[in-house]
Amino acid sequence: MQLKMWILSGTAIALWLTPLVALDTKIGWHKSIQGLSLVAAISCALGAGNIARELSEQEEIEAFKTRAITADVVDEIATSAYISQQQRQQEAEQILAPPGEDVEEVRKALEAIYSAESEESEVTTIVTTSEPNPLDKSLYAEICEARKVNKSTTWIVENILKMKGRKFAEGKVKLQQLLSQFESDL
Amino acid sequence: MMRAMYLANYFVAGCIASSFLGWIASLHPMSARAIAFLVAALAICWGLCWLLDFSVSSWLKISVSNFQAVLLAVLAMAIIGAGVFLCS
Repeated sequence: MQLKMWILSGTAIALWLTPLVALDTKIGWHKSIQGLSLVAAISCALGAGNIARELSEQEEIEAFKTRAITADVVDEIATSAYISQQQRQQEAEQILAPPGEDVEEVRKALEAIYSAESEESEVTTIVTTSEPNPLDKSLYAEICEARKVNKSTTWIVENILKMKGRKFAEGKVKLQQLLSQFESDL
Repeated sequence: MMRAMYLANYFVAGCIASSFLGWIASLHPMSARAIAFLVAALAICWGLCWLLDFSVSSWLKISVSNFQAVLLAVLAMAIIGAGVFLCS
């Protein structure tokens, strides 16, 4: 199509200029050839112009298509980015803010554990107060010896009761229990 | 590129048409008179269009600058076509 346009353009210019320059106007058939070639040149130029117009319209349509495709791609990317951002935000919200029901459940579970532990400790206290076992007696004896040599409560808990670190508080309570148990017996 | 070619081809067609009018005028004195009359009428139309460019461009629904460009292109076509015919 493009080649046809170029050929027609060249032919139009050739048919316009060549007979006017080359042919003699005084000869009759030369004159008629000039006229014919001018008419042919006009038709060639108009044909080439029409083809060029069609091609330029096609180019414009292609440019529109390219722009539309680019806009579509950009829009798709923006939409997917927005959706993924929303999903991540929702996940973060779910992680950071647990619903109220869970808190209530956790509170109940903690209450249950706390009450079970307190009941257990009460039972142990009752058992220990009622029947002092030989191990407790030996421990108490050791504690008394340590207290005589002015050892601190911390030292007694850590070295005699062997309750260090996280069990230290428990060890202190046990020490108090032992002391209160045996000193009340005395 | 294609748009330029399309305008150039129509411009060349206008130039050839102008040469063709000159060729017709060279055939016979009567045809020369007829062509002279036609050229005079076209020149008057061209001058009126140049003077009334705002009104004519709004009537044709094109911009004034485009209309003036068309008028100048028509003038150039006539001059080039006639020049080529007379110089050959």
